[in-house]
Amino acid sequence: MSLFEVEHLTRVYATGRRRVLALDDVSLTVERGQRLGIVGESGSGKSTLIRLMASLDKPTSGTVRFDGRVVSGVPERDLGFLRASVQLVLQDPRSSLNPRMRVGSIVAEPLRSPLIRRERRQVDQRARVREVLDAVGLPADSADRYPHEFSGGQRQRIAIARALAPSPEVLIADEAVSALDVSVRAQVLNLLMGLVDDLGLTLLFVSHDLAVVRHVCPDAVVMQAGRIVESGPTQRLFSAPEHPYTARLVAAIPAFRSRS
Amino acid sequence: MSAPASNGLLQVRDLTVAFGRHAPVVRGLDLDVAPGQRLGIIGESGSGKTVTALAIMGLLPDNARVTGSIRLDGQELVGLSDRQLSRVRGDTMSMIFQEPMTALDPTMTAGRQVAEAFRLHRDRDAGRARSAVLEMLGAVGFDDPARIADSYPHQLSGGQRQRVVTAMALVNRPELVICDEPTTALDVTVQATVLRVLDEVLDAVGAGCLFISHDLAVVSQLCSDVVVMLDGEAVERGTADRVFNEPQHPYAAGLVATARLDLLEPGTRLPTVADHVRGAR
Repeated sequence: MSLFEVEHLTRVYATGRRRVLALDDVSLTVERGQRLGIVGESGSGKSTLIRLMASLDKPTSGTVRFDGRVVSGVPERDLGFLRASVQLVLQDPRSSLNPRMRVGSIVAEPLRSPLIRRERRQVDQRARVREVLDAVGLPADSADRYPHEFSGGQRQRIAIARALAPSPEVLIADEAVSALDVSVRAQVLNLLMGLVDDLGLTLLFVSHDLAVVRHVCPDAVVMQAGRIVESGPTQRLFSAPEHPYTARLVAAIPAFRSRS
Repeated sequence: MSAPASNGLLQVRDLTVAFGRHAPVVRGLDLDVAPGQRLGIIGESGSGKTVTALAIMGLLPDNARVTGSIRLDGQELVGLSDRQLSRVRGDTMSMIFQEPMTALDPTMTAGRQVAEAFRLHRDRDAGRARSAVLEMLGAVGFDDPARIADSYPHQLSGGQRQRVVTAMALVNRPELVICDEPTTALDVTVQATVLRVLDEVLDAVGAGCLFISHDLAVVSQLCSDVVVMLDGEAVERGTADRVFNEPQHPYAAGLVATARLDLLEPGTRLPTVADHVRGAR
């Protein structure tokens, strides 16, 4: 059984008379331990898809199963198993970390959730916070400080530590390194790849940056206008794209040009 | 330091910029752009790239203290009044910003905004302005310049807006165009189009360009020469080929290594700047 089974997922956003078909009959499976890239341009439906997979939103039609259990359209009180197992890291750590909370309390927040506590054995929260801060390479005294005292890369490490706190099986990274400088991006990607390996995590890696996806994910799906237009091994998508849109996307990646 | 060459378009000497009582964010910077030359400035956030561009354009806020010399076509810009500067800005030199939506006035049609730049500096006649505008909109790759000219910014896509901004910047055939991350906010396929258009119109107009970007591959496509900035200083400069293939300064070497994902085996550890610079962040 696949870890995620997504069947005929459709999401329509309706505001007033305007209807936007954000996701159009998308089906997809994710295996345990897979590192899957989801690539596409703005408005392609990448974020809508992962929001539905994490059950942060309800589909207009279609179903999402996690570990064999339906999670789409299920009331929040019955989603403890999903919340404990699937964690997100978002693009901008400036807006995803509460500036008024100390880092220790930000990282421990998933552990305080009653939903998640029902699923996970009681853990010593302070010890777990120390453990995950150490895992992401932040000093132990970070717990007593506030997010503004950290650089962008360090804040993204805090967000990763928070995601790891409840010992999830799946990490969803939505443009997690897009706002970072290249040198910091390299460090955060190394950290992320190392953690996924060491902890045997399943990774859903959403990005508009194909070069990064090629490096991180052996497999990928390409999205355009709410549909998956092509999927397969990332190397093959690059070397022999079958769909014209994939070909266009690959051709558009800025390459180093030699002038001599 | 060698004597300033007389045939330079832009000569920046010992440029230092500080805000209020803080330590300078640009320190003793020298830059040279020859007519028609394209110089890329690369570096990470906080390295002083944008402040340098704004200093040259004379667009820094009042609390900025600028010392050193900025000469455009031999004319000293440091110390000019805003009024004197505004004759140069939009005429001899112009700027393209990252976010086209904030650079455009939402209440004016695209055509009127391009025409405004033209009428202010060139020719007040509305009819002649209109034909110059349509010609320029055609030059930035629009098949239907008249329809684009009569559209409001919200009716255009991100890539179309950035091409309108490019038309605004180039309608007066400036000698120097400063581009600050002009494609960073755009999707890759749109970025590819905008870069191609920019490359073509810079050539057609024969304008020199100062191109600021954190994306080294983009710079390698557009620029013949490169300056690498770190903490307000130029740590390396040379032809794009040389800097991207044989960087000398450890920081530049680290920056190039982290950007060259295309040279790595997928899934392997990425090189970091810290591998090259001891004690780097």
